[in-house]
Amino acid sequence: MKNKEYDVVIIGGGQNGLICSAYLARTGLDVLLLEARHETGGGLDTLEFCGHKYNLHAIYHMMAEVMPAYHDFNLKDKGVRYVYPDVQAAFLNKGQKPLVFYRDPSKTAHYLSSAFSKKDADSFTRMYTDFKEFSEKIVMPLTYVPAMPAMELVQAFDMASDDVGKRYNEMSELTPVEIIEQYGFSKVVKAGLYNLFSMWGLSDYDGVGFLFPLYIYRMLNVALCVGGSHRLSSSLHKVASGMGVKIQDKAEVVKVTMNDGRVNGVVLNDGTEIRAKAVVSTVDPKQNFLSFFDEGQIPDDLTQSAKNWEWEKATFFGTHVALKELPNYIGSDDNKDVNKAMIVFPGIDDIDKVLGHLEEVEGGHLPETPISHVTCTTLFDPLQAPRGYHTCRLETLVPFDCDWDNIKEDYGKKCIDTWKEYAPNIDPLHTLFYPPTYIEKKLKDMVRGSFKQGSYKTFQMGYYRPNNECSQVRTPIEGFYVCGASVNPGGMIIGGGGYIGANIIAEDFGVKKDWEEIESVKRARELGFIIK
Amino acid sequence: MMFDYDVIIIGGGINGITTAAYLGKAGLKTLVLEERGECGTHCDTSEPGIPGFLHNLQATEKVTGLSPCMSDLELERFGYEITMTDYVWGNTFSDGKNALAGVSIFDTMNNWLKLSPADAEVYTKAMIEGVEDGGWGELHEFMHNFFYKAPKDSGLDDFANLKVMRELVKAKGLDISTHELVNMNGFQACDLLFDSEHIKALLLSGSWVGGFSPVHRQIGVLGTLGFGLAAGAVFPVHNSKGGSHALPHALIKCARNYGVEILSCCPVKKIIIENGRAVGVKLTEHAVYPNQEIRAKKVVSNLSLIPTFKDLVGEEVVGTEMSSKISRFCYEENVVFCVNLALKSAPQFKSAEFDEGIQRCFVGYFGGENSRKMAQFGSSLTSGRIFDDELMANWLVPSLTDPSQAPEGCHTCILWLDAPPTLTNYNGKRLGGFPAWDSIKLGLAGKLIDEFEKYTVGFKNSIIEKFVISPLDIYRNNPSAIKGNWMGGSLIPGQMFADRPLPGITRGGASRTFIKDLYLSNSIHPHNMTWLASGYITACEIAEDMGVREQDWWKGKACRWYEENVDKIPMNLGVR
Repeated sequence: MKNKEYDVVIIGGGQNGLICSAYLARTGLDVLLLEARHETGGGLDTLEFCGHKYNLHAIYHMMAEVMPAYHDFNLKDKGVRYVYPDVQAAFLNKGQKPLVFYRDPSKTAHYLSSAFSKKDADSFTRMYTDFKEFSEKIVMPLTYVPAMPAMELVQAFDMASDDVGKRYNEMSELTPVEIIEQYGFSKVVKAGLYNLFSMWGLSDYDGVGFLFPLYIYRMLNVALCVGGSHRLSSSLHKVASGMGVKIQDKAEVVKVTMNDGRVNGVVLNDGTEIRAKAVVSTVDPKQNFLSFFDEGQIPDDLTQSAKNWEWEKATFFGTHVALKELPNYIGSDDNKDVNKAMIVFPGIDDIDKVLGHLEEVEGGHLPETPISHVTCTTLFDPLQAPRGYHTCRLETLVPFDCDWDNIKEDYGKKCIDTWKEYAPNIDPLHTLFYPPTYIEKKLKDMVRGSFKQGSYKTFQMGYYRPNNECSQVRTPIEGFYVCGASVNPGGMIIGGGGYIGANIIAEDFGVKKDWEEIESVKRARELGFIIK
Repeated sequence: MMFDYDVIIIGGGINGITTAAYLGKAGLKTLVLEERGECGTHCDTSEPGIPGFLHNLQATEKVTGLSPCMSDLELERFGYEITMTDYVWGNTFSDGKNALAGVSIFDTMNNWLKLSPADAEVYTKAMIEGVEDGGWGELHEFMHNFFYKAPKDSGLDDFANLKVMRELVKAKGLDISTHELVNMNGFQACDLLFDSEHIKALLLSGSWVGGFSPVHRQIGVLGTLGFGLAAGAVFPVHNSKGGSHALPHALIKCARNYGVEILSCCPVKKIIIENGRAVGVKLTEHAVYPNQEIRAKKVVSNLSLIPTFKDLVGEEVVGTEMSSKISRFCYEENVVFCVNLALKSAPQFKSAEFDEGIQRCFVGYFGGENSRKMAQFGSSLTSGRIFDDELMANWLVPSLTDPSQAPEGCHTCILWLDAPPTLTNYNGKRLGGFPAWDSIKLGLAGKLIDEFEKYTVGFKNSIIEKFVISPLDIYRNNPSAIKGNWMGGSLIPGQMFADRPLPGITRGGASRTFIKDLYLSNSIHPHNMTWLASGYITACEIAEDMGVREQDWWKGKACRWYEENVDKIPMNLGVR
């Protein structure tokens, strides 16, 4: 490794680093991918323990087969198989009929009509049709192209040949709660829909209403990766090394080096120096602009914006449970599909309660009554447990600043007890608790358990993620690029950052790209939603 | 007939991938199908708790350095780095003494001198005159022929004929032949050769850890003298940088480098047999490629005997008589109960005053005070009882050899108890067999920790986190490891050497089975320690049958890599 100059060194072996490296190697560039941990995958982390597969971080793949990398690298033939549960989400409340969302919207409407009201059913159909159109025509294609300034986007949407742009603009000005109100749902449906969005720590007041249609539409089309989330990164790893990427684990970058005002390599924590023509970082802005470079070495505004970078205020506490039998939920008498739901939300019937809960968590208070969502992966993928057993995970929104080392067991038990009120047959064979402090310890770019590498709020989104100079991958530092979750289009398993990064870097190197833009992006260009 | 592959290997354990890597390198189109997400099930290193603590959930103590694969497959080039401590093995006793086995025979001698000058003399004389003084070549040849080839009837004679064995008998002034000696059990051999109860306990416990129960004749002598006595000086006992999983990792990288395809999450439902020969496999409906049929010229099962023939081949092919014989294959002895711990500091032994080498032991044993206690322990294992008046168990501190397995200054530790899988009694209560592990595991883990505390200073206070893994959990993790058995079936008379796994299963070698084109790389000779032996033997036999055995790179010999590299292996990296 010494004395050799790579074309590109990539920092971070999560989904974005793996995807970016594979595309760049495909153009013929000589690429080195550096991962600080002993294995790649980042948030695509599946622990195999006593025969159970526990997805400790990412589990729901929102953009599964939508991701360009899925097609460009033929991941289907490389062991990545997705299952799409028919019953996507169920909200349970004592003494009320369960709220169930199916992947098939007409099935959902049919159920809402019988269990709630005709009005809810009609509203749902209207909302789903709108959100599907907004997502497929606008938001999903925009996930795979570089950020555009907000004003230009608004203008482009307004002027586009399809009026969906105008409608999307109008809706984007509203908050998520206002959007739901517009469609006129009854109390329980409203609470359920809002929670599908806020479960990611997305607040109603942060100006992220423009994401609401995408999240609702994709959270009702979520896929599970067969064999656990790590299968995706494992296949990407295989693809990248097959393309010739050199992947080195246990290689933590501490500095990015410069020569003559241009980036020329990195230094690892063991002192190893590596030379490269370009350095791409997929980690967070504070490491990128405050640790990798010394103050004064790079423009002040970059340093300043990194100092102002905000982490998420809410993070997750994970409770992973091995079971001998599947949970049998109280709402299953009314609708047996509740027991087959991919995500179960116990005790959510009121939007004010959801808002209050999020406010409490964001204010740094640990809620007395935890609100969790539960996924039993083995319902859809028996490989995730020994034959005849089941694997469940509870994810509970919590604040970071708690004495987690000492309270994790008690709080985890409390989460299980709350769940048990809705599934009385639960009797864990064993349990693993995963407090937010472990997130930060394991993945250094998820500071304070910030699983999206930084809060989603107006001035950290789109063209401003991570700042207006770097959101399009290139940075004012010559030879230094960024394309992690802290860069537009953001976090979650969407395969956006690494893809956009590779496209831009390939252009700068003047190498030939042998992959085509995905169909939805081409269409969005034709309609005028993407201007460049 | 059209074949998709030359060879399909069912099960990506270390032996399966070893076979694959050799065959791939020899130019055969090879596919490995693994049910789990990760290959190398028994060499599992994971982070189930506080990030930064890497726990080796099963195999920890490795003897891979012994294997010809080290050079043939160039495992170092594929990232495998061996690390050691200078004391590979030790026992600590309640009287404040300890008995140690060092990498250097002189370190061992110095420790034994404090216990019994006579025993130290017997050991040193035998080692110097039998091994150092021109015996290495013969010893290495024996190790290669014994462990890395199909067993032959004269195997034990070759053991008895070793110069070191003759020197051992001579040094003690015994009036018996070495052939009589190797036909004894481990207790008899130890009583005959050594005076110190501490030293006998050291050798007997080493025998158990190596998977050779000293209660059996022949097997017990291989364990106590072949493994226990030789650990360190002859047998490399070591760790690998990054944990046990580094071994399958390196093997996978090597196999892939030679074009081997490895597919995870692909459980096999059936081995397809046509006209009496294995022609391929069918995957289960839950596999990543559901119900897929894949054909090959040869099929290898790296699953143990019962799953291979009862589940994948099926009684309709095997026949009733053979099937009922296979059903009786024994998995009972020597299974393990593990407690994996995250520690704030390394264990401090009370016996360090006697000999501070105990602080640097990679593997150790506590509770086995003398050979009488050891014999009682042995009989408790066969009767399904946990020996609970005074637990005897191992400890391992992997972070002493490789500090990268724990956060700075912290350590990982495993307490490992040899236990019977089918429980009949514990704490005066009757228990309902194998499923009873769930009900006793937490209590037993607590007791094991309490017991270890007696030999150390402040151990309990140093524990940050613990994970308890019972034989039942091991079975859940790997259904091929029936009863949690890590050896691919017990090493007992009737299931050893040429009889292994059972008479009539293999033909014309160790891996060729009675079904044409179906091979085993598990449950066969010698057993599933991390010496990569079964996988090597299977590779040799398939390569012979496919006419590709002659390769200029395929010439590694047992021990050779270790002999040439021992001075370069980093020692005591995590010792402060």
